[in-house]
Amino acid sequence: MLETIVQAVINGLLIGGIYALVSIGVTLIFGVVKIVNFAQGEFVMIGMYISFYLATQFGIDPLLSLIVTMPALFVIGMLVQHFLIRRVLGPNDMPQIFLTFALSLLLLNLALMLFSANYRTVHTFYSDEAIHIGGLYIPVAKLIAFVVAMLLSGLLWVFLHTTDLGKAMRAASQNRDVSMLMGINPNRVFAVAFGAALALAGAAGSLLMPFYSAYPFVGQVFVLMAFVAVVLGTLGNVMGALIASLMMGVAESLGIQFVGADSGLIVVFAMLLLTLAFKPNGLGSRRLRS
Amino acid sequence: MTNHRQRSVDRTSANQIAPKRQSRRKFLKNTGAALAAGAFGAVPLRGWAADPINIGALYPTTGSMAQIGVGCVAAAKLAVDMVNEAGGIKSLGGAKLNLVISDVQSDTTVTRTETDRLITGNKLSAITGCYASALTLIASEVCERAKVPIITGSSSDQLNKGRRFTFTPFARASQFAKAQLQMAKLVSDQPKVAVIFENTAFGTSTSNGLKELAPAEGVEIVMFEPYSAGFTDASPLINKVKASGANSLFSLSYLNDLILIVRTVKQVGLNIAINGGSGGFVMPDFYKNVGSAAEGLQGVAHWNHDVSEDAQKVNAEFKKRTGEFCFEYAGGLVASTFMLVDALERAGSADPQKVREALSTLDVSSGYAAMAPGGKVKFGPDGKNIYGRPVGVQWQNTDLVSVFPKEDARAPLLKT
Repeated sequence: MLETIVQAVINGLLIGGIYALVSIGVTLIFGVVKIVNFAQGEFVMIGMYISFYLATQFGIDPLLSLIVTMPALFVIGMLVQHFLIRRVLGPNDMPQIFLTFALSLLLLNLALMLFSANYRTVHTFYSDEAIHIGGLYIPVAKLIAFVVAMLLSGLLWVFLHTTDLGKAMRAASQNRDVSMLMGINPNRVFAVAFGAALALAGAAGSLLMPFYSAYPFVGQVFVLMAFVAVVLGTLGNVMGALIASLMMGVAESLGIQFVGADSGLIVVFAMLLLTLAFKPNGLGSRRLRS
Repeated sequence: MTNHRQRSVDRTSANQIAPKRQSRRKFLKNTGAALAAGAFGAVPLRGWAADPINIGALYPTTGSMAQIGVGCVAAAKLAVDMVNEAGGIKSLGGAKLNLVISDVQSDTTVTRTETDRLITGNKLSAITGCYASALTLIASEVCERAKVPIITGSSSDQLNKGRRFTFTPFARASQFAKAQLQMAKLVSDQPKVAVIFENTAFGTSTSNGLKELAPAEGVEIVMFEPYSAGFTDASPLINKVKASGANSLFSLSYLNDLILIVRTVKQVGLNIAINGGSGGFVMPDFYKNVGSAAEGLQGVAHWNHDVSEDAQKVNAEFKKRTGEFCFEYAGGLVASTFMLVDALERAGSADPQKVREALSTLDVSSGYAAMAPGGKVKFGPDGKNIYGRPVGVQWQNTDLVSVFPKEDARAPLLKT
């Protein structure tokens, strides 16, 4: 019994790491740029397809393709921010919602057109491998994904807390108007924040590729979890999103194990409702925004 | 019950590859389809003989089932080439077959209009189509009304209800579940089956079919668990399978979930026989996606490329043309075309009604027309091949091999 629980927790943490990469991106964009990016999942999908084609055309391991997907998505993020998001930033939220939602639809259907609805997988030598400890097992590909996800989250945290640009981003997220008065260039800060968020989505795509299939709708699977994590961990709070993502992974896994395989998400959403009832601003509220 | 079971193994083949949430996509596809409809039409291949015999071929060569539809068209062309190179229809003075191909765009509405258009625009002797049962059911309705015979590999039992012009030479959906259970008995003397299925119409109805048949087959179902389709992680589910003590796992899943399940079983190091059913599982693509983890996996099919010597010949030619082995629907389609040839020879006429009469008295046990599990084709009054049965298959050394029943087995079933 104990073994089953421990195994379920391990499974949950491992998948939670991937949720974290997506949700940190969403929360970063929300915190800094103050918009909800509905297209975040589609950028995970783009990351997956880049990794897939690098792997199948050039034989590059999906994990190595991080070096390509992250900068590529960073640049895409800057461009999206500069040419699209910047134009709709204003007092009215509606155009922003429509814009990112439209972007999501556009990317999804472009992917359907270009890549078709087929599932694409990359099979690496470690895809089916697992480390066995006693009766427990840890899948290698997911472990690597988890470790890299945690490293990237840590790097982002360090960036936000030690560099001028990072501090400027946090300042902008705390109070945009005052930060502008302090001489922070919002366009630059926003572009970097958007780029960084998309780079994380791209990283999630590459890390997923060794054990998950790429298909046009893949982003939607992860973005749902990401939005829950973002709300659960307090909007705009990077550390909150990270912790909430891991918690959700574990809750989902325990839910499948002990409630039923079709009710893993029920546990997650029950957790969300309870949190909102008792801490309406999420678990990360009243903490320092990171 | 029957109704459930019909939909059960209902060759949701196509669905297995198509993603589930489709509303948005469907909208765009439909608008796109409206635009493309003008451009894409029937593409008649030029016939060489004076009076060619037109055979309609309705397959989804665009849309979510495009990949398989394209394979079907390749098979239809191969079959027609084989017939024509052998001298065409002798009783009609060596008349050549002329394939009239139409794209039904993986869409039921388009299927209806295309079937109609094909029949009214061409003098067709017969039609083959449409891969997915959902599409074939529609095409079959139109054919019944127009009195043009349609011969199909689609397995929905619905196709055998109140129809006169619809012929189904291969195993029916209701026969698939039974074959799967019997295969579990080959794996162990005390078959304990874990059934995991996605909580959709396809998963629920198929799993209920298995549950109903299991006691009669002497198979114990030790776990019966629905799951939400499109999950991110199969580990918790496989943990449960492990705890259930099952020695066989039936996974009623779409391709993506099945891949995750197979990989996770391997990671856990669980020694269990997996039966992946049919549809996407018996396609060459499955092995490409899953890799060596597919080895030893079992499934069921209505045709396999090793069922007879003739099938192997067809397979070799198909491989030469497309690079892939001849998948179940493609092979069945070649056989179906030769059944039409047999009927045309005996009818001595290209008239669809006469072809229908000749099909209803078809009785073959040799040649390409008899290239089916069981090796014999004779249609009952419901259009069902009275000898039709599914074949149990297993992935062995990158190939899909027939392993069940004994008469059709080309290699022993490996107990992984």
